[in-house]
Amino acid sequence: MTAARAAGAQEHGAPVAPRPAATRRGAGAAVLGSGRLLRLELRHNAMLWLLPVAFALFFYNGYREIMALPPMWNLRAMTLQNRLLLDLLIPVTGAAAWMGSREGRRGITDLVAGTARPRWSRQLATWAATTAWAELACLACVAVVYLITARQASGGSPLWWPAAVSAAGVPALTAIGFAAGAWFPGRFITPLVTVVMFFGVAFGTQSASGDHSYWQISPLTTGAFDIGAAPGVASFYPYLPDLSIAQIMFTAGLTVAILGGLGIPVARMRWLAAVITVAGLAAAGTAVALAGTGRLDPHGMIVIPALHDAASDRPLHYTPACSRTPIPVCVNPAYAGVLPAVTTAVGSELTEFAGLPGAPARISQVASVYQQETSNGINVSAHVSGASEFIVPDPLPGQPGGTSTQFAANLAEGLGLQLASHVILGGADQSAGAAPSQAKLAVIAGSVKFPPSVQSRDLASLYGQLLPQPGSAADLAGRRFAALSPAAKHAWLTQHLTALRAGRVSLAQVP
Amino acid sequence: MTAVAVRLVRLHAVSRRLPAALALLAVCAAGLRGVLYGHWDDYGALQLPLIFETACAAIIAVTASSPFGEPERATGRWLPYLRLGTAVTLTGLASGALAAAGTGMPLAGGFPDIVRNVAGLTGIGLLCAALLGGPLAWTGPLAYLVAGVYGLYTDWHPPALSTPWIWPARPPHDVGGALCAAVVFAAGLAAITICGARERPGGDGPG
Repeated sequence: MTAARAAGAQEHGAPVAPRPAATRRGAGAAVLGSGRLLRLELRHNAMLWLLPVAFALFFYNGYREIMALPPMWNLRAMTLQNRLLLDLLIPVTGAAAWMGSREGRRGITDLVAGTARPRWSRQLATWAATTAWAELACLACVAVVYLITARQASGGSPLWWPAAVSAAGVPALTAIGFAAGAWFPGRFITPLVTVVMFFGVAFGTQSASGDHSYWQISPLTTGAFDIGAAPGVASFYPYLPDLSIAQIMFTAGLTVAILGGLGIPVARMRWLAAVITVAGLAAAGTAVALAGTGRLDPHGMIVIPALHDAASDRPLHYTPACSRTPIPVCVNPAYAGVLPAVTTAVGSELTEFAGLPGAPARISQVASVYQQETSNGINVSAHVSGASEFIVPDPLPGQPGGTSTQFAANLAEGLGLQLASHVILGGADQSAGAAPSQAKLAVIAGSVKFPPSVQSRDLASLYGQLLPQPGSAADLAGRRFAALSPAAKHAWLTQHLTALRAGRVSLAQVP
Repeated sequence: MTAVAVRLVRLHAVSRRLPAALALLAVCAAGLRGVLYGHWDDYGALQLPLIFETACAAIIAVTASSPFGEPERATGRWLPYLRLGTAVTLTGLASGALAAAGTGMPLAGGFPDIVRNVAGLTGIGLLCAALLGGPLAWTGPLAYLVAGVYGLYTDWHPPALSTPWIWPARPPHDVGGALCAAVVFAAGLAAITICGARERPGGDGPG
């Protein structure tokens, strides 16, 4: 059947005739040929040889630090996004530039110009093979981190968006490196483009300021700049994908634009390549514009109104993990790993105040509230009502800058002091503005166990309000009271708390 | 110096793309000067010079590649001296250019830091040239860049890397770091002087 007769049959509503066998054979051969070309490129690809370098760099730079973090999905996944692409950047961009400059470097551009496939098609096959190996490296690193975290995490579920952003960034790196190598095939281009990319990606966010910054589009950015990977982010509320979607849109658009740009010199495909390039640039530009409309939400994540799904604002439901202490302390299950550290830090206070009038039946963790200030400043606070709620201080032990000693000190200054002052001063019954008696201050000071690392200057703002002045008679009485066991303190408070609150206990009567 | 010697040096320099390398070293120095005008946080201020030092070292290492291969080795006894002279001269020029670029600017570490880092990174590059070939000599310095940047990062986030083999993370006047960088530079010079960059019979490398 000729093509004209087939077209005529179609016009009259007759069943569509099968395509000519030669055409089918041609399409099949093209697919087979492309597959064969891709297989050849996969076998002879520089990225394959640089995979050990990529893994070594990730192990040295990213993996060890990620694994040192507490096993919380949010911390590890967000840190992974911040590190992985930077660790892979040098081998991936270098390999892509090396492969892109192959024809020019070896002086075979004219030789291969006579082959059946257009240059653009050959280049895309080489780029695809390089990207496939690089993506394999990226996904292997993600898999290792996620599998180990899945075995260690006490709660929550994997965050896939940070991993998706990293995976989407890899083709962009290879596209930039490949295009640089193809356009400027010299011996210096590979190290130069790699260094320039490292500089751009590593330092591209230094100009960022506030939650409206366009620089948030960098695929290394996981959220607001002064929060980053914080335990309070995405623990109580779902991880917002708004910024991740914009970042993926940006890297995908950039990749498409660059790959389209490679085809512009090809005479037959110039218009197609130009359209692809423009579409890619439009997508990337739109993504940058969207990132500039971001704002920090109270849960510590970036909301982009055009991409935001209001359903993501609903809090996550969970069964809290509670301690077996006289006053149970309950935390988000993702924090279960730090619960022993919490109960150790304030264990004596939990024993001492259990069952006393005004003491809570249990203490529950609440979410931190984040608020953007000028520039990159972010205010972290909590809506805590009474002594029955608290926030787990940040940083946790294992986070950068976080130690067990510092964590215990933060807990004593926060939860411990909050509990003691609430019980001793009577919580809501305390008359506003009235300064507590010296006996009350002495008992509070003797009840809260501050670690030795807490200095007087750390507590200066509390003297006279919740703690006695150092060296005063109340301070000495407080030290005397602190020497008692928690059980003895509890027994004394059971008998004298009402009198103490009423101001009928003098310093001398404090044991 | 005779006219023949001058011609020999000139031809060797041209064959190693030294004019282009010198231009790129100047671009690196200008780039460092340009970014030092910017406002960077503590990380940026310390890590930025290392990036430009690495770029210079990678450029120097890539120049080790010979376009002639085996025939060149049979032409005379001056080749090792030419290789040595090229590497030492470029390293000195790169250090001088970067130091000049940082004059009057808040350059972290100052001149001692630049000399140590450029020498050590160039040594890594020359060793890579001897092992992998000139065209792939950039892999060593660039991979080390990540280690160096991480080392500087750990100065803020303990535990800090204390090994002197990550010399960019050590203070500028640290003897251990300087010794390690010097040892690597000497090893690189020796390798490139005696052996030259590796010639690959099947081409210039994988891919």
